[in-house]
Amino acid sequence: MTAYIIRRLMQGVVVLFLISAVTFFLINLAPGGPSSAVSFQSTAAEREAVLKQYGLDKPVMVRYVDWLSQAVRGNLGTSLNQGLPVARLLAQRAGATLELGLTALFLATLGGVLLGIVAAGFRNRWPDHVVSALSALGMAIPGFWLGIVVIIVFAVHLGWLPTSGVFSVGKQFSLADRLRHLALPAGVLAFTLMPNIVRVTRSALLEVTHSDYVRTAHAKGLLPRVVLLKHTFKNALVPVLAILGLVTTVLFSGSVVIESVFGWAGLGRLAIEAANGRDYPVILGVTLLAGAFVVVVNLLVDLLYAAVDPRIRHG
Amino acid sequence: MPRKTGPHLTTRLLALLAALAIFTIATAQTPNYDPNGSLTFVTNADPTLNPWTPGAVIESNLVNTILFDQLTRYSTKDLTPSPDLATSWEAAPDALSWTFHLRQGVKWSDGKPFGAADVAFTFNKVILNKALGANNSSVFSPVDHVEVVDPNTVRFVLKSPFSSLPYYLAYFAGMLPAHVLESAPNPLQVASFNKSNPVVTGPFKVAEFVPGSYVRLEPNPDYWGQAPKVKTIVFKVVADPNTQLAQLLAGDVDMVTVTNPTLLAGVERNPNLEVLRQSQNIWYWVALNQSDPRFTDVRVRQALLTAIDRQAIIDSVLKGYGTVATGPIAPLQKAFYDGSVPSYPYDPARAKQLMADAGWTPGPDGILQKDGKKLTITVPTGQFGYLVNATLLVQQYWKAIGVDAKLNVMEWNAYIQDVVVKRNYQATLAWWSTPPTPDITPYFSTAAAEKGNNIPNYKNAELDALMAKARAATNVDDEVTVVKAIEANVAQNLPYLFLWYPDIITVLNKKVGGMATINTPTAFQYSADWYVKR
Repeated sequence: MTAYIIRRLMQGVVVLFLISAVTFFLINLAPGGPSSAVSFQSTAAEREAVLKQYGLDKPVMVRYVDWLSQAVRGNLGTSLNQGLPVARLLAQRAGATLELGLTALFLATLGGVLLGIVAAGFRNRWPDHVVSALSALGMAIPGFWLGIVVIIVFAVHLGWLPTSGVFSVGKQFSLADRLRHLALPAGVLAFTLMPNIVRVTRSALLEVTHSDYVRTAHAKGLLPRVVLLKHTFKNALVPVLAILGLVTTVLFSGSVVIESVFGWAGLGRLAIEAANGRDYPVILGVTLLAGAFVVVVNLLVDLLYAAVDPRIRHG
Repeated sequence: MPRKTGPHLTTRLLALLAALAIFTIATAQTPNYDPNGSLTFVTNADPTLNPWTPGAVIESNLVNTILFDQLTRYSTKDLTPSPDLATSWEAAPDALSWTFHLRQGVKWSDGKPFGAADVAFTFNKVILNKALGANNSSVFSPVDHVEVVDPNTVRFVLKSPFSSLPYYLAYFAGMLPAHVLESAPNPLQVASFNKSNPVVTGPFKVAEFVPGSYVRLEPNPDYWGQAPKVKTIVFKVVADPNTQLAQLLAGDVDMVTVTNPTLLAGVERNPNLEVLRQSQNIWYWVALNQSDPRFTDVRVRQALLTAIDRQAIIDSVLKGYGTVATGPIAPLQKAFYDGSVPSYPYDPARAKQLMADAGWTPGPDGILQKDGKKLTITVPTGQFGYLVNATLLVQQYWKAIGVDAKLNVMEWNAYIQDVVVKRNYQATLAWWSTPPTPDITPYFSTAAAEKGNNIPNYKNAELDALMAKARAATNVDDEVTVVKAIEANVAQNLPYLFLWYPDIITVLNKKVGGMATINTPTAFQYSADWYVKR
């Protein structure tokens, strides 16, 4: 088991290296340049001075080797547009994204699994139809649009919740204030993530319901509730876990949009700002962090499989 | 339910009157503003709290205007340069130097005195240090260096006359503290200053900078002027313009500048909000690349402008928030603006005639051609504000006279790289936002072609000479005469096709008082006057 984990982590390092190389060359191939140098008003003299300060007058290959040799020592470089170390920017923003992402994931999983159970339990009856209509809506509605609509309804017209931000000015450590700010963005993000979980839960449950051991359990005269929770649900968990692994990776791209709409000070908005302003070191930093996150989540999901399904053994 | 009768009503009325009386006495005794008032503004990204750092642009300009005093600031009446850190100034008779007398007794927010050494440092070590590439530093290229005459007097020694210097000193030109930054290897990249707590002379200083969330300002107790009447100013980071307006409607934010007038619906009806139409020296233009021989014929430029119905674009794309432009000097510069120059009103027949005079005649497919070559123009357009919509309309107007314009919609940063850096375009639509000075040299001079802000790469020796003459003027009357000649010259030759002067739409919560209405950059130079109405 330990050997397996170590092997997977080594593979992860290779994956991260590939991500860094592909990202580095892709962003440098893209037209444009860091907005600190390439702005509408800047003259050639101003632009060249700034590019030189940042070493952007060197060939791309040399820059990659420079960056990589620093990165393996833990130095991710300095933001071209903000003048701060990339590691510091990532640390400033990671907390807010984790807060939003984990809350949304929790809400989406809870809601998705519950609705999936309802849909499977009432297959082809009205609760099932209501749930599938909701899922279709969640799939079809773009997050940024839903975000603006809920801001207009709940913040502007009803005035129940704040319009944006992670916390009110000066209330950094108030739990109630943070929860109020979290409600809308986490709700919208969860709503867009939920449909996949609902559908997989429903179909996995239905599949297991028709299996021999469930029929046997019913035949033994066990209570339907006991059959559902002990026999059906536990076995239906494996595909649900698989989709959770996938959803977690989608979570990051979803939060890029949600963070912009809700003024959420997270990694997603940092990534957007960096991409718009061609802040190469920050783009690389965010991409690597997201990559590392996905590698770790996938490993955790694989380990959880083994815990849930005794037939799966990692060795 | 029985209605309440006589006696009750009288007692209630009496109580009401008594309450009113008390209220009136109370309000008469207290000032009409809230001493604990707080104002909240938005910015689209984390600001960089140093006005000269490359990359400190739109997200930083307003907060830096509050924090960093300048030598001059614009008058709230007519935008002429008025005293700020300098109390008076005069040009030498030979126009080759300017002397500025500094305000006495000014302190930095760390308690150290401000003086001539700070001004000399800001110019000699930062702005004029080419290796730093400071924002906007190119406009100060006529300045050779700044001399300390005495602790309260500086002299700007010039390479060539520069009559507009006091105007440029009021345009995002904050003074930096020498004692804090002079030991730094790069004074523009000091993170503890730029991203946390800069040392300033303005009415407010930074109290808290929460990355990605907000910057909170508090009154600067060392401020040289009248103490600010607002206790807190917050700049919230809100990237999305829709969310910015939602915040304004919810009362979470007190002012938003609306760049896209189509977003205004709903705002105009809100009783708590006031929509202000302001003006700045901003002009939209179409640049026709002069490296392309087809556009060097002035008749072609005149035809391509005559073909565009600018008023119709203003009415549709700008929702009426703008006026047709006649040149680079906007009407708000009352002394210099000349609206009597040729303005090329919309006339497709005349446009076709001008093209025919220049040798462009319709081919069998209706597209103009000359020497067997069709008039096909590639037009890159950047995704910013309403540029794409406006360019689409220009394309249609040109099509009507037989010009085949091919649009290429580009992401903004890539557009700048192609159009501004590489000048890889044939025609393009964008704008200039300039200080309210009649000096148009940075955008029109031969020296600024290819490398500077002369985007169309236009070269005209006569115009260069006129602009140099305007810079050498030592009194306003002479300057007005030369500037009128410049306006006539550019209106005739159309280095740029002048489109419109947009109104700046600022939506303000009615609780905000004391804010100059002339335009936002100027209002932010007088933040000590702001108050929150009770």
